[in-house]
Amino acid sequence: MTQTAQSAVSSFVILQIGERRLALPAEIVAELAPPVRVHAFPHDTPSILGVIVRRGHIVPVYDAASALGAFASSAQRFFLIARRRFGKAREFGAIPVNGDCELTTGELQPPAADRPSCVSGMLQCGAEAIEVFDLDALMSSGSATEPPESAEARQ
Amino acid sequence: MASAARESASRTGAKASLRRARRTQTVVLFAVANQMFAIAAGAVQEIRSTDSLGGAAIEIDQIEVSKVRHTVQRGGRTYFVVNAGTHFGLPVTRPTLVLILRHQRIAVLIDRIERMAEISGVHPLPLAFSGDERRWYCGLAQVDDLVIPVIQPDGFLTEEEVRALDLAANGTPLESRIEEGAGSA
Repeated sequence: MTQTAQSAVSSFVILQIGERRLALPAEIVAELAPPVRVHAFPHDTPSILGVIVRRGHIVPVYDAASALGAFASSAQRFFLIARRRFGKAREFGAIPVNGDCELTTGELQPPAADRPSCVSGMLQCGAEAIEVFDLDALMSSGSATEPPESAEARQ
Repeated sequence: MASAARESASRTGAKASLRRARRTQTVVLFAVANQMFAIAAGAVQEIRSTDSLGGAAIEIDQIEVSKVRHTVQRGGRTYFVVNAGTHFGLPVTRPTLVLILRHQRIAVLIDRIERMAEISGVHPLPLAFSGDERRWYCGLAQVDDLVIPVIQPDGFLTEEEVRALDLAANGTPLESRIEEGAGSA
């Protein structure tokens, strides 16, 4: 394998949120945590469901389903704990996921021109093309991101 | 020798209890629309029933700050009565108690006091929270198996809101009256 080919192949975690399958770069994913109680309290930030306590730390829980425009499923099984950047600071956040997560490697292809900026690329996984998301961009966009099929159907 | 050991043990114990005292904080746990909040006990001057303050409450005619409908006079000071449910966007309830805050011109309508509690520390609010809650809370506390927001006592009203309320209650903002008073003295 050449130097260029080595650097193009990266690791990704494929996860299921509602009916959407998507991928995140593996480097930002810390762990898959078992379901625990989400503590909710009044706040004014869109796309946050509350917080969980994980390893003695308070971790915000992101409403990724809403950000993706996906239906949240009651079959939630785990929390995917991933790292976000806030300027120079980094913080873990939890994403409720309702399917098994899988670690895969592949080459990140550029996203289609009409995809929002929170889609950083496409990952070919067998016959399936999976969108790779920039978690920071997704959670700070605050608006629903339609899957590519819906966007095509609308046009 | 034994006395030196006892003295040393006593000093160690005193240091340990000092460390504990520094770490722990007494809070009042209260509820609004079944949502629990904590506030530092030292930030609360007085807790009164709404019934006992009924006669002392003066309605203020303004729509700018919808969470404040009344003022109360306590010890020669005027307090703006903030409905905590409206402030936090919670379902409407019938508050039964008023927390009169220390060092603030704020009284807060709440549903009930749960209890006092000792908390071992306040966790900073995660950076992911970016809305008004950064002003409302000074952090989060773990009490038993719950995570409870800890109230920032001066977060109930912004300076602008206080100015608007002063204007509605007295016709002029407080600072203007102070300046006028200073000018005439």
